[in-house]
Amino acid sequence: MRIAPGEYFLQGNEACVEGAVAAGVRFFAGYPITPSTEIAEGLSHKLRGTDGVFLQMEDEIACISAAIGASWGGVKSMTATSGPGFSLMQESIGYAAMSETPVVIVDVQRGGPSTGQPTRAAQGDVMQTRYGSHGDYQVIAFAPSSVQEMFDLTIDSFNYSEKYRVPAFLLSDAEVGHMRGLLRVPKKLHIVDRKEMGMKRPDEAYDVPDDLVRPFPVFGKGHKVMVTGMTHTDGYRIEPEDAKVHQELVKRINEKILRNRKDINKWEIVAAGSKTMIVSYGASALGPKEIAATDERIGLLRLKSIWPLPEEPIAEVARECQQILVCEMNLGQLYYAIKRVALEAGCKKIELLGKVGGEPPTPSDVRHKLREMGAI
Amino acid sequence: MELFEFYRQDRWPHVFCPGCGNGTVMNCFYRAFNELNLALDKTAFVGGIGCSSRIPLYINSDALHTTHGRAIAFATGLRLAKPELKIVVFTGDGDLGAIGGNHFINGCRRNVDMTVICINNNIYGMTGGQASITTPHEFLSTTTPYGNKEYPFDLAEIAVAAGANYVARWTTRHVHELTKSLKIALQKKGFAFVEVVSQCPTNFGRRNRMADPSQMLGWFKENSVRRDKTRRAAVDHVDLNLAGQVTVGEFVDRNRECYEELIGVEKHG
Amino acid sequence: MKPVIDLRFCKGCNICVYICPKKCYSKGTDLSDMGYFAAAVGAAEKCYNHRREGKMICELCILSCPDQAISWHPETEEELRK
Repeated sequence: MRIAPGEYFLQGNEACVEGAVAAGVRFFAGYPITPSTEIAEGLSHKLRGTDGVFLQMEDEIACISAAIGASWGGVKSMTATSGPGFSLMQESIGYAAMSETPVVIVDVQRGGPSTGQPTRAAQGDVMQTRYGSHGDYQVIAFAPSSVQEMFDLTIDSFNYSEKYRVPAFLLSDAEVGHMRGLLRVPKKLHIVDRKEMGMKRPDEAYDVPDDLVRPFPVFGKGHKVMVTGMTHTDGYRIEPEDAKVHQELVKRINEKILRNRKDINKWEIVAAGSKTMIVSYGASALGPKEIAATDERIGLLRLKSIWPLPEEPIAEVARECQQILVCEMNLGQLYYAIKRVALEAGCKKIELLGKVGGEPPTPSDVRHKLREMGAI
Repeated sequence: MELFEFYRQDRWPHVFCPGCGNGTVMNCFYRAFNELNLALDKTAFVGGIGCSSRIPLYINSDALHTTHGRAIAFATGLRLAKPELKIVVFTGDGDLGAIGGNHFINGCRRNVDMTVICINNNIYGMTGGQASITTPHEFLSTTTPYGNKEYPFDLAEIAVAAGANYVARWTTRHVHELTKSLKIALQKKGFAFVEVVSQCPTNFGRRNRMADPSQMLGWFKENSVRRDKTRRAAVDHVDLNLAGQVTVGEFVDRNRECYEELIGVEKHG
Repeated sequence: MKPVIDLRFCKGCNICVYICPKKCYSKGTDLSDMGYFAAAVGAAEKCYNHRREGKMICELCILSCPDQAISWHPETEEELRK
């Protein structure tokens, strides 16, 4: 069932499927939508009989709802979609955040708004991942930029979702989802399971303090748990009229992520200390990476996790360099968040290369912008 | 099992209005569950949003209080992830038939093993009395102050057409028949749907000259017509205007394979 | 057995008054714990289950009461002697 250690030549979406199976997914509910359909198709092959359950649901809202229900049955669950489906799922994503349900959502981004460019890449859902549902909540989101990372970061999405009892997102895009490349599967994989109520976890190193993340009460074990999206107390009593209960709950579900940023954040730096640093993520980082690897004037901070925003590495890069260029496939979404952190850290010039239209920024696009900035 | 072993006594008195039909359905459900000797700790309850969807929170077992209209989708995931759990869904007419319509018909079609109890009070009660997809023609509500210009759905007939294994409709005036149908539904393999036409005196009755719950119960009794027990086909001349008649009885009792059998997942014992 | 109304739960909807085929209930004048005019058992001796033990019959009131306020209690010695 699980992919054997070795080297493979796979499509990005296929690598995501292998990552999910390796992480222990046992429930997938999907709906066909380009460019994520291969994930549903792949898992329809893998999740059969005793290996798990695959469902094609009637719409994306049913997909995320079924995945959340399955999570309360005690299994790792997942769904995959793209922009239009992602927009539909937002209400239930908020429900997963409020009820603290571990669930993984893969968004293989495509050109938007609306139906947009179904077969072309974009990074237009970045802010929606963070703020798509109503109310104050935090999520964890990863941005793969290679086939290998489609595998690795899918496993990370499951691990962090289980550890922090929060919906976790894999923000891929049509380029990374459909590209073919090398996947190296190591002999040993690090898999994290949720801390269940009543169970003593064998590896205490992965525990988050109980006052931030409560042990998870699986259904059918006599806990008589009441899961709800309404404001509730620790004892799962509905108390929507109590301001203090609401404050405590909402603050806690935000704090549990924000205070553990150092554990969650992942990034890569190429040519640290360069005069001009590019900050990018996902498929947008591919062009910049080529430039940073060959030109000593330019460096790259490639964010592998984008929510919660990795403020520390951004601030450090901002303190050391003279100017920052943010590359993303939208008209500026993560740009403003990065800019705020960089300005606070003392960097005076933060520019944007926001490319829409379906093609990631090429090295030539980036060089053109860098010349405009006077960096090369 | 005593009534208050089944229900959480520390939550009593419950929040439902005086005369609300929800409480009546809770009595019949408890009796059906108890007479079948089912295990409460092997049952999970799912509700959407609305007055009737709050019933799971009063039961002494695991409960999933979900988003508006999506109870059946959540229940599908929960059931297939943990097939040893018996699933009972409490929902309302708007929750099931309006916003949840797609999940309702696909749930019937998919035939995952669950019991769905739709307490149809012909109104959106919790939000103050707006017209619902089962509000009768010309009746008043806060969003139809000049009379409802739309016609209602027949939820039971939709369930029949969509493929549910067991479909029945009663009113809160028919407590014994309802209890019996709930027993059959709880034991039925596959998607079992029981619609209970119920009184909302506060937000429906009061605006339509039936402020007293007893008036609404009388109205149910006068206007309900028993389906011929031997007939399996839909009634030809169902008067969708509830002010005319509502057909009560068992609509269908069939044995289509449930989804768990079709995909090879073990079902509850 | 006789029906007894629990004043902690009765909300005075009077469905029991309407539904009982033997007219055992009547609209009460006493306040329940929550401040409703609770229903009252006017004529327990008319009930089908008066002096009955074992399985109860009818039970329309118990099944209909929306607040789970009615339950069966055995008659007291005094009531049985009447």
